[in-house]
Amino acid sequence: MSANKAARVGEEIWKGRIDKVNAELVTLTYGTIVAQLCKDFEADYVEVNKQLDRMGYNIGLRLIEDYLAKSNTMRRCSNFRETADMIAKVGFKIFLNITPTVTNWTSDSKQFSLVFEENPLADFVELPDDGRAQDELWYSNIFCGVLRGALEMVQMQVEAHFISDVLRGNDTTEMRVSLIRYIDDELPPEDD
Amino acid sequence: MQVYSFYIFDRHTECIYSKSWFTPPPPASSSLTSPSTSRPQSQQPAPHASSVTSPPVASLVVAPPSAAALKRSKQKKDDDAKLIFGTVFSLRNMVRKLGGEDDAFIAYRTGQYKLHYYETPTNLRFALLTEPGALSMRNVLHQIYINLWVEYVVKNPLSPVEHKGGEGVRNEMFEMGLDKFIRGLM
Repeated sequence: MSANKAARVGEEIWKGRIDKVNAELVTLTYGTIVAQLCKDFEADYVEVNKQLDRMGYNIGLRLIEDYLAKSNTMRRCSNFRETADMIAKVGFKIFLNITPTVTNWTSDSKQFSLVFEENPLADFVELPDDGRAQDELWYSNIFCGVLRGALEMVQMQVEAHFISDVLRGNDTTEMRVSLIRYIDDELPPEDD
Repeated sequence: MQVYSFYIFDRHTECIYSKSWFTPPPPASSSLTSPSTSRPQSQQPAPHASSVTSPPVASLVVAPPSAAALKRSKQKKDDDAKLIFGTVFSLRNMVRKLGGEDDAFIAYRTGQYKLHYYETPTNLRFALLTEPGALSMRNVLHQIYINLWVEYVVKNPLSPVEHKGGEGVRNEMFEMGLDKFIRGLM
């Protein structure tokens, strides 16, 4: 599916088939989770990033089925570039009504960036002013886990991490996604 | 239209759900086992005890039911599921080899039944056995996936992500929804 067509599909599903919730409810709920994690792990931000990623992973494992059902996807993407477009223009669109930009492809088409012009998770957010959060906490790290979990269920092992965040004072919010390998179908056990 | 049975297999190739709508006399549980149990022979019209209209099959009814027979019938059910998986998995792979990666295996038919197959991109596989004359059930299986599986199993917070041994699948909402949906077709 071409990028334009993916955008149209995403728009159509968002308009017609999605139950909406109040965006501030999402923002504040997520904010509460991150704040609580920072408290629980005594501002060990590396650990907080890890926990957010793990939560996202567990969400992704289930969310993929909802994505496939809502988008009526019957077949796999033919290559990783198509996968990237579907994530940005259909996935993010139908669940969060945002469309991050897919960019900075490596020449082997195995790594790309998602640049978030808007991020509903980060509205009203200021990172703690302790001199460390700005360098260590990836506030929206749950997204990385969601992508990792969701793509694993459709036979793609990926690695995802943020490389910049406007909350840290960077110009953009950018996530790097790399395809590690396609996972082979599992075979039935041999008869004995 | 007559629906005989329904199976779901997960991405680890395990049968995580099966249901039969046609209960034949106890010992003659519905069987797909062909004389040679070693490899599934997809194109052979396997004897199917659930079609009462066929005298040769009905005449297979012999032994009276007992505890041992019940155990055998459970064993038979497991074997049926394994055979079905082996068959659809081989057919799906063959179809893709011959018709290209995007080709999909949809159904096969024997003299006694028709097996409809549907697979999601997450490698969840659905198989539905109906009477041989049934029309395409692809859409029916797709609806079972999006309206029943995703709604009542995936979105059930108490159900695990992996359904080892069928855990979390046999919940009331899913069972009722499926039964109602299938009976609506008959």
